[in-house]
This record gives sequence, structure tokens and C-alpha cells, in this order.
Amino acid sequence: MSNVILRTEKLCKTFSSGGVQQHVLKNLDISLIEGDFTVIMGSSGSGKSTLLYALSGMDKPTLGEINFEKQNLSKLNNDKLAIFRRNNCGFVFQQVYLLDNMSVLDNALASGLLVNKNKRAIVAKAKQLLAQVGLNEASWGKFPSQLSGGEAQRAGIVRALINSPKIVFADEPTGALNSAASDSVLDVMTEVNQNGQSIVMVTHDIKTALRGNRILYLRDGVICGDLKLDAFHVQHNHARHEKLKAFLAEMGW
Amino acid sequence: MKIVNLAIANIRKGKSATFSLFILIFIAALLLNIGMTVNTKVGTFYDEKVKELNDAHVLMMMNTAEFKQPYEEFLKSYPGVQEIEKENIILMNTAKFRYGDSDMNVGAALFNADDERKFSPLKLIEKLDSIQDDDIYMSNSFKSTGGYKLGDPFTLIYQDKSYSYRIAGFFEATMLGTNSMGIMKFLLPDAAYRQMSTGLGETASGTILSASLMDSTQSTKLVNDYNKKFPHPSTDMISQLFWDMDIETVKNANTMTINIVSMILVAFAAVIVLVSLIVIKFRVTNSIDDGIVNIGVLKAVGYTSRQILASITLQFMLITLSGGIVGVAVSYAVLPVFGGIITSLSGLLWTQSFDAVINAASILIVAVLVMTVTLLSAIRIRKLHPVTALRNGIMTHSFKKNHFPLDRAKGGLQFVLACKTMIMNSKQNLMIAFIIAAITFASVFSIVLYYNVATDKKAFFDLVGVETSNIIVQAKSAEDSPKLLTAIKQMDGVAKTAILDTIPMLLDGQTIYMSLTDDYSMLNNQMVYEGRNPQFDNEIAVSWGTAKLIEKRIGDSVTIEVGEASQSYLITGISQSISNMGQAAYLTLPGVQHVIPDYTGIMINVYLKGIANKDFIQNLNDSYKNLTADIIDVDETLESQSSIYISAVFSVMVMIIIITVLVVILILYLVIKTMILKRKKEFGILKATGYTTLQLMSQIALSFVPIVIAGTIIGGVLGYLYTNSMLTLLLSGAGIHNVQFNVKISLVIMLCVGIIILAYLVSMLVSRRIKHISAYGLITE
Repeated sequence: MSNVILRTEKLCKTFSSGGVQQHVLKNLDISLIEGDFTVIMGSSGSGKSTLLYALSGMDKPTLGEINFEKQNLSKLNNDKLAIFRRNNCGFVFQQVYLLDNMSVLDNALASGLLVNKNKRAIVAKAKQLLAQVGLNEASWGKFPSQLSGGEAQRAGIVRALINSPKIVFADEPTGALNSAASDSVLDVMTEVNQNGQSIVMVTHDIKTALRGNRILYLRDGVICGDLKLDAFHVQHNHARHEKLKAFLAEMGW
Repeated sequence: MKIVNLAIANIRKGKSATFSLFILIFIAALLLNIGMTVNTKVGTFYDEKVKELNDAHVLMMMNTAEFKQPYEEFLKSYPGVQEIEKENIILMNTAKFRYGDSDMNVGAALFNADDERKFSPLKLIEKLDSIQDDDIYMSNSFKSTGGYKLGDPFTLIYQDKSYSYRIAGFFEATMLGTNSMGIMKFLLPDAAYRQMSTGLGETASGTILSASLMDSTQSTKLVNDYNKKFPHPSTDMISQLFWDMDIETVKNANTMTINIVSMILVAFAAVIVLVSLIVIKFRVTNSIDDGIVNIGVLKAVGYTSRQILASITLQFMLITLSGGIVGVAVSYAVLPVFGGIITSLSGLLWTQSFDAVINAASILIVAVLVMTVTLLSAIRIRKLHPVTALRNGIMTHSFKKNHFPLDRAKGGLQFVLACKTMIMNSKQNLMIAFIIAAITFASVFSIVLYYNVATDKKAFFDLVGVETSNIIVQAKSAEDSPKLLTAIKQMDGVAKTAILDTIPMLLDGQTIYMSLTDDYSMLNNQMVYEGRNPQFDNEIAVSWGTAKLIEKRIGDSVTIEVGEASQSYLITGISQSISNMGQAAYLTLPGVQHVIPDYTGIMINVYLKGIANKDFIQNLNDSYKNLTADIIDVDETLESQSSIYISAVFSVMVMIIIITVLVVILILYLVIKTMILKRKKEFGILKATGYTTLQLMSQIALSFVPIVIAGTIIGGVLGYLYTNSMLTLLLSGAGIHNVQFNVKISLVIMLCVGIIILAYLVSMLVSRRIKHISAYGLITE
């Protein structure tokens, strides 16, 4: 039986600006399953990223609850949320957001050593992950400015995975990459998911969305579609592709 | 107009940075204006007071029995003398009275308050409404530092007899108003004056000759010429009373301390200006880096580099001018504190006047320096192409080496990340270390100064040239002196004794104050800093001031003249002394006997061990009262005389420490705030990956701690090593060439630790603003 790793109840997020209120997320009840590669899609301004960051404890909801396993994130203060994130979440951003004054290895270790005090073990793990995502030893000592977009994003994925998070949140991780770089990044994410890693990813790209096994479609702050797909497979993907296209067409994509 | 708008917009954009810079400029202008005002005004203030009070420029006081008509004739016929006046007074070689928290022993000149006089007519600045027979009028210094107020009882002890009065008024006096020249002035109503005069008889009957000159700066020369014409002491004058003084010497003696204080203020103002300039450089560089896109836009729409430079310069000039003007204005609120110190030191009421030239100069000095630094820092704008600027232009960081790699660096994660931050901002950190070092040095300097003047006073007394015995016993006559000396040596509690007389003598035609003792090695205060003390009868040591005056050095010969007798001596050492304008010399007793045969000395310095001064004085009075003319409790006298210096130095120390604290707060506030703004994204990433606010605050604070520690260590070590050199430099004009103040290491360490703790707390407090940076902010930006 599949386990729910993250569940929201009546999740609302409202922004106020100049006295005008904008309701971005409206009473969302979502359950995310452990081991799933969940993709959140929707048109621009639909609240995809807002939902992602609310789910990850990066932002606080206006109303409603977010339960991560048995922990209610809505009741945690900022510092407790930070501790929650470091222990349970990994993040991959569109802009990568590596620390530009640190080497690739240091970027991974700055997160890793925060949780794991065994330096030797965490250094070994970081190196193993870097190798796994295709970053060779020569690039470990490079600064982010010396990396290509794809390399930087793969380094970002290593940072997200270093603490073996229960869930990885990715916000359009290939949004700023060219096709080849996108594929290599997605391959890495697919691989880690196939190893059991839960992933929640926001994208507006069908090709990227195909990597997921569950598609949530958001419109005006409401989940209006929830599509289940088979697990991604490079060779046998046509049927999945068609199914997704039909779903998106139905959603008005 | 557009340039003004740009400048104002920039100021509005960085309000808190503008404010901190404003505060620094404000402090710099404040200190500079106080220092310059006090420094320039003290001299004229004294001259104006002499005019206002119609005080004499030269005073000669002596026993009436010793007065000779040619003395008066000399003054009358001396070129440039305007007026002279002769008056009978009561003259006491040593009167004792309470002053501050202790007894003071100084000479006293008592005048008849009801007599008419040309010079220094009685003009009370404060008086009682009623008149009594036992009234006494005294100088304002009794009020400002002596702890007296109108109506207080006042007891004057002379030759073991007490005279009790009621203080009926205070007056100002430029010549006999303080104890700096060893004699103070009192006025008694006619009845009381006559009663005392009759009671004391001829021994206390004195004559005072006062003279004014067309040019008061010639007063020292007049006194020198007078002493050449009527040399003293002669063998029969040693034990008698004689005082001469001139307004220039008195002025210098009374204003020297305040001049040193004002020099310290000016020096500290220079440090603050330097700090401000460094901060301005930092601010200009940062504001260009932050506003690089704006600069690109401005260039793209047609603004010239000159216009943009002008707007940046104007921005900082507006802050400088407003900070400078407010600093100068506020200095008028602080100046009364220094006026109070001047009043304490001189006994004269300080009247604060507005001086537009000094005020303008203070602002101008700061403004010109700020403008230069701003232009030099912003000049790179000229080479910046609009496209480069629009593309976020200049790379501020070029990472070539990964310092403190996390996989290999020793230490905890927070510490290593802090070290990375520290290395990343090395230029800025150098600036902070330099500033912290400078203010630590200034604080060490002020604390050492205070400690040596207020607590461990030995070095201070050495510096002034005071012999720190416990008791001075004046023999009744030269004949009694050897007998008394032998007797004292055998008394209980006497550790050692030394004859030490100081008498004016003619040395190479100049009047100097000659110290005479039997054995210089017996003295506590070894004033010779180069060469050695005289040991044989043909040797002499001279002060630096004297050496400069007569243009002689060690190995040269000098001639001493007393009446018809004259003798040549070899200079064996150079000493330092602030007393008597630093014009002093030192002979052995056998040495002085060449010009004053049979001279034995009458002032016996007694050094006690295991007995209280008061008990010893009691024992001495019980056994040898018939042999003593006077007994002075040196400890008490020094205690009371040093109180005015303590308050002056305390004010300086408090001011410097307050400014040090302010500078630490301002610098760290400015730097950390800018750092948080610049690294907002980085902190957001760190927060997103799970760093808590407290961890990031600690990282920031820890990244500054090594810099602050380095700065305080450098400042502390420099302060420890060079405070004495700095003091020597400041006091060199007063004849001081070797300051040996006790630089107490524990105080230096305490100060350094205090600054480090303060810096850490300020860093933590300022970095609290990191709380407002959210990981989510990364995405929404």
C-alpha cells in the first residue's frame, strides 16, 4: 500500500498588495505519495510555484494545514521550518542558486555538513553523488561561474540529494537550460526517482512533465486535474506522451 | 538641478547608511572644532583675562626687610614698562589649608581688601550680601577645584597657628589664582588684615612689586634681566622669602595641560576623520557596485560621467556639510565641559564665544578630505561603458582560490563558513581591522593616561618633576639643617632622607631653577633620561628646556653665577621637567658650595616606611619643633594638586571611550547591513537549504570576530608599545623626552576583550535583520 508523505487540508495562500488581495491557492486538499514523481503544471500565474514552496515549508500558507508525515508544518516558526527543510527536503531551482563563492563540492557540503556531522562520510557521499550526476573530479573544485548551465544544475541536484531528503522539490529545473542539458538533468532526476526518491516538480514543459508518474494541473489556485501515468521509460514512452497530451488538452493547456 | 535630484535620490535610497556616515562626520567635526577652538582660544583667553582684570605682567614678592629701592627703580626704568605698583602684603612661605580632599601647603600672599590698587583691583565674581569681620576673599580655583562655596568656613594654618574665616567672595586672578606657581592670593577686610599683620609681625611682612608692560611677551625677559641685575639667592637669602613671576610663564604653566588635552582631541579627531574617509571610500565603492545598472541607464540616456560623478560627490558632500555643521553647532554644547576644565586649571571663568573662522575651518578640512576621497573612489565611473554597466558591469569578486574547502578545513561548519566570508571580504576586513586598531590605540592611550594620573601616579609625578617623598621638613635655619637631618634619620619609620632644595640661579646668564641635593641616587625621581646625574662637585645636569635655551649638550660646560662668585660645571646629563617651564638644572651640594660657600640645604625630604605621615609629623613636632620652620605632607599636597589633572584626563578618557564604542557600532552596522543587502540571495539560498537565522547571524558575527580580534590586538600592542612614545611626542614641546608611564597590561587586555565582546554583540544585533530574509524571497524577487 502506498504511503502519503505530504498532505494538505484546505490550503490557502493569499497575497496582499496595495490593499488588493489576490487569492493564489484556494482550499487545496492534496496528498502526495511516497516515491512518486509528481509534476505540477498550469499556466503562468496559476499558483504552481506558490504551491511548491508552500508544500516545502519554504513559505507559510495563509490558511489550512500542511502535514508532512505526522508534522503540521503550518504551526512551525521560521527556524523550525529551516530545520525541517534541512532534514527532509531537497531543492532544485530554475536559477540553480549555487553559492557563487563556493566550489561545487563545497556547495554540496554546505548543506550536507549541516545535517551529518560525520565529515568523512558526507564528503564521500558528495563525491559519489557528483560522479553519479556526471560531474567529474575536475569540476568539483570549480566555482559556479565556471560551470555550464547543465553542470550547475546537476551540482544543484547533488546539493538537493546530499542529505537523502524524503522529498525533492524542483521548480522548473530545466527552465533555463538548452535541450541537451535539460535531458541530462532530467535523466538524473528520473534515475533518483527510480531509486525511490519522492520528487515534486513544477514545469510548464510537456517533455519535462513526461518524467513524472502523476500530473497535477492547477488553474486559478485550484487543482482541476490529476493524471496518473506509468513510470517513465525512455524506450516505451509514446503512449504516456499521448495520454499526457490528451489530459492537457482537456485542461485547456 | 538634475544632479541635485540624483544626489538626493541616492541619499533617500540609503537612509541608514547616510545616517551612520552623518554620525561619523558629526563626531569628526565636533572633535576637530573643540580641539581647534580650545587650542587657539586658550592663549588669547589668558591674555584677554589679564586685560580684563588689569592684572600685572610681572610680580616680585619679598620680605619687606629685604626690599631695596633699586628693585623698584629697575622696574620703573625698564624699557617697555607701562606702570608699576608697590604694595605691602602679608607673605607666608608655607600656609596650610584644606583643598579638595586633602591638605595643601603653598605660599600665601594676603592683601588688604580695602586698599586701593591699580593692578588687579578686587572684583568679585560671586559674593555674600552681608559683611563680617572674619570674611576672606579667595580665587575662583578654590570654588572650581578646592571644593569650597560661598559662606563656607576656611581655616588657614601658618606656623602652627590657625586662622578661621568665612568665605565671603571669589575673584579671578591670572597670576596668583592657582597653586601652579607655589603661592596663592587671599584678600582680607581691613580689620582682619591689620589684626593678622600685627600678630605676625615683621617675619610675615611682605612687599609686592607689580609691573605691566607694553608687550606682555617681554615679561619673561624682564624677570631674567631683574635676576641678572639682582642675583639671588645669596647665602643670607636662602631661607627667606622671594617669589618672582611673569605672566608668560604663569600662562604657559596654567594652559599646558589644557593644550595637551586639546592636542589629544585634535589627534583623535584626525583618527575619526580617517575612519570616516575609509568608510566613505567603502560606501562610494558599494554604492557604485549596487547602482551599476542605474549608472548604465543614466549613461545610456545621455548623462555624462562628469554629471554622474558630480551627483555622487554632491551626495557625500551634502552629508558631510550637514554632519559638519551639526557637529560644529553641537561642539558649542560640549565646549563648556572643556571650559570647566580650563576654569579648574586656571581659576578663570571661561567665556564661550562664537568663532566663525575656526568653525568654517573645521567644516572645510573635513569637507575637502571627503570630497577628495569621494572623487578618487568614484573616478572609475568615467571608464565604465553604458553597456558594461547595464550588464551588471564590473565583477566585484574574482574567485580564484577556494579558501577553507569544507572537505578539508578544520573546525565546525559555522566557523569554516565564517572564515570563508572573512576571506571573501578581505579588503573590507582590512579596513575594519585598521579602524578597530586605531580606536583601540586611542582608547589604550586614554586609559593609560588616566591610570597614571589618577591611580598609579608615580610616573606622572616623575614626568612633572616632583620628588615623591612623604614629608618635607624645612629647617628653621641653615645652621639647624644638619642637626635636624641627623635627628630625623634616627626617628622611627624613616626609610631614607634626602636634602633637596630648589632655588633660582643664573646659569649662562639665564634664570633657571636649580635643584640641589647631597646624593641624587637617593631620590625616587630619577629625572635624567640621557647621560647621568651629577656625582662630583664640578658636574651639573640640565633639563632639556635649559639645554635648548642655552644651546648646550652633554660634555659642554656652563657657568653659574651667584653675586660675585662664578663657577664652571660640566654637563653630565639631560633631564626632563614640566615644572618651571622645564627650565631646571641639578647640582650636588658640594658643587653649589663653589658659588655659595657653606650651603647645606634646608629642605629635608623624608621617606617613610611603616608609619603614617600624620603620626610622623606628630612625633617630629613633639621632639624637634624648635628646629623646624615648616613640615609639608607631600602625599596630601600631591593628592590635592593632582585632582584637577585627574578630572581633565577623566573627561578625555570618557570622551574617547564613548567615541570608540560609537565607532565600533557604526562601522559594524554599516558593513554588516551592506553585506546582508549584497548577499541577500546567498542568505536566501542558505535559508532554503535549512540554515536557521541564528546560524547565519553567528556566521556573520564569527566572520568579524577574527578581524576585530586582529584589530584590537594590533591596536592594543601598539598602544602598549607606543603610548609612551606618543605622549613623549605630545609633551616634547613642554620639555618631556622620556615618558615612562605604567602601561598596565591587564587594563589593555580588559579593554581589548571589551571591544571584542562589544563587536560580537553589535554584529549579532545588526545581523538580526537577516531574520527578514526569507528563502521564499528568492523566488519572488
